[in-house]
Amino acid sequence: MKQNLIVENITKTFKLSKKQQKLKHTHKKTITACDGISFTAHQGEIYGLLGPNGAGKTTALRIISTLIKPDSGYVEVGGSDIFNESKEVRRKIAFLTSELKLEDHFTPNYLFTYFAKLHNLDEKLINQRKEALFRRFGINPFKEVKVSDLSTGMKQKTSIAISLVHDPEFIIFDEPTNGLDVLTAKNVTDYLLELKNQGKTIILSTHILSVVEKLCDRVGIIINGKMLVNDTLKNISHSDNYIDLETLFFDLIEEHKGVE
Amino acid sequence: MRNAFIIIKKELRRVFTDKRLIFTIIILPGLAIYLMYSFIGNAIGNTIEDVEEHTMSIYTEHMPLVLQEAIKDTESDVIFTDAKSVPLSLLKEKIKAGDIDLYIAFPPDFTERITAYEDAATTIPTVTIIYNNGERYSESTYYKVQTALNNYASSINYDRFGDAMYPFMQETTISVDEDKASGQQIAGLLPLLIIMFLFTGAMSIGPDSIAGEKERGTIATLLVTPINRSDLAIGKVLSLSIISLLSAISSFTGILLSLPKLLNQEDTLTANIYQLQDYFLIFITLLATTFVIVGMISMVSAFAKTIKEASMLILPFYFLSIITAMSTMFAPEPASDLVLYLIPIYNTINVLIRILTFDVASIHVILLVVSSLGYTGILIYIINKLFSSEKIMFSK
Ligand SMILES: Nc1ncnc2c1ncn2[C@@H]1O[C@H](COP(=O)(O)OP(=O)(O)OP(=O)(O)O)[C@@H](O)[C@H]1O
Ligand SMILES: [Mg+2]
Repeated sequence: MKQNLIVENITKTFKLSKKQQKLKHTHKKTITACDGISFTAHQGEIYGLLGPNGAGKTTALRIISTLIKPDSGYVEVGGSDIFNESKEVRRKIAFLTSELKLEDHFTPNYLFTYFAKLHNLDEKLINQRKEALFRRFGINPFKEVKVSDLSTGMKQKTSIAISLVHDPEFIIFDEPTNGLDVLTAKNVTDYLLELKNQGKTIILSTHILSVVEKLCDRVGIIINGKMLVNDTLKNISHSDNYIDLETLFFDLIEEHKGVE
Repeated sequence: MRNAFIIIKKELRRVFTDKRLIFTIIILPGLAIYLMYSFIGNAIGNTIEDVEEHTMSIYTEHMPLVLQEAIKDTESDVIFTDAKSVPLSLLKEKIKAGDIDLYIAFPPDFTERITAYEDAATTIPTVTIIYNNGERYSESTYYKVQTALNNYASSINYDRFGDAMYPFMQETTISVDEDKASGQQIAGLLPLLIIMFLFTGAMSIGPDSIAGEKERGTIATLLVTPINRSDLAIGKVLSLSIISLLSAISSFTGILLSLPKLLNQEDTLTANIYQLQDYFLIFITLLATTFVIVGMISMVSAFAKTIKEASMLILPFYFLSIITAMSTMFAPEPASDLVLYLIPIYNTINVLIRILTFDVASIHVILLVVSSLGYTGILIYIINKLFSSEKIMFSK
């Protein structure tokens, strides 16, 4: 069976507190972060979720990762559904978002083992995985340095290594290159391509167009919680009036400005 | 459960690899209490000694020598000065200022009037005393003089009327169970202190360990692993309990070591009056109560968005517990109704009083332990629900 990730018509509406209404300059009591989003990420491909700030990317990825529940819709990760088999889903995925942090007091070495144990890996496998991932991301010289003393890039690389500790089939990364310098960013994107070639299913969110163009096989463009485009990069670039991804993106944003 | 243990190990490592935390959570409470209480105890002791060692200064007029001797016979030092040449107003000033402790004046013909009491012409003589009851030395001098005067009056009565004077005879023997008396003194203070320190220990780490991890986003990293939320709840409550208990034991040791000094009875009052089994019961009580308090604090911390909010929300629980503990402080009489032993915190205080006054039965301890475990179970269940709730864990 193909290890696909299927998202069907998910919606998610948040209640807004008085404080949030003020911050957003709105009088609406609710905000629909995901408004009927559907797409499928295929095995051996990278699916790119593209959208401006506040589009609903993180919300969609949190739903897929079982951290929050959709109001309606359905998600299936490699045959496990997020409602009834949430633990199974979490076993299969690596999830990375900027809100997930590592504890400052501990070292990469300790935290890697800690999370590996929570994933029920045995000692031998833990050391194997640690060896491979720490070497791949150049963490070894820093593995005994407390997280609080690591650079932003090294922290991010440690987070990535730890999220992959259990060698999952599905990789869901929310803006993985955000805040990284070009060199570190390339290190990360190269690794994503490696994982893709190993036959993993990858979903990536970003608002950086070049990342999408270089990495992704399929693209979904979300604006105001709605999926406006969902196709292979190839098909999109062959459509009528297509100039480049940037123009398409800006046109879509312009079209939906103020419309919600 | 396996994952709960992995989490407990990590939480303990967090504390035990941090010198600052080891000091503030485990060493400081006991040390601070020992130093503080020893200091207070010494201060009180010094005051008492000071009064005892003070040389009383008494100004007299026509004071019978027998009386002077009687006062000198008590263990205290005294200097009598004849007040004849000093004006009364100046004496009053000096007493007010604390330079003189007491002024006592007898009529010049005092002795004659006492002897000629059967003569109808003699009136009963008046003894005038001036002292300052706002002054420790003066007040203590007054009581000594008063006692001497009373004894003197009794002896005069005896001379005049013999035994017939007394409507009854008195015979007083002091009979005290020293252990129980000491126990009662300890029972007045200790339960309050224990509740306070259990709370302080748990409050110093609970909010940071749960609300802090929410605030910093480190708990979310844990929530995307396939662990059960209940493992996380159990892991947090158990590890926090272990650390709080260490903190409480540290405080407890500090209290025990300084208690004799605090109550200023170094020779009679020691913690030695308790047997190993009493300490064991105290430990069991502490353990059960720690679970309840940590459970409560963990629940509040899981609910709160920030460390600050958690600390604020805990305060009402804290004050309620302290007030409960204080209610028994001045009259350490344990509750007799067994149902009351199901009320958290209140049961801790009553069981502690019973242990400390040698009045505990197994039913009291059993009720406390069983009810505490019950409450802890309920609290862990609620925390588990909170950890599973996206509104609580991922609200903005
Ligand atoms: N827990 C929440 N409560 C209230 N509103 C929320 C909550 N989570 C997200 N939102 C709102 O939902 C909308 C979508 O947010 P989301 O984080 O999914 O966007 P995003 O595409 O990831 O944006 P960014 O590029 O800024 O990360 C935003 O307006 C956000 O403020
Ligand atoms: Mg986002």
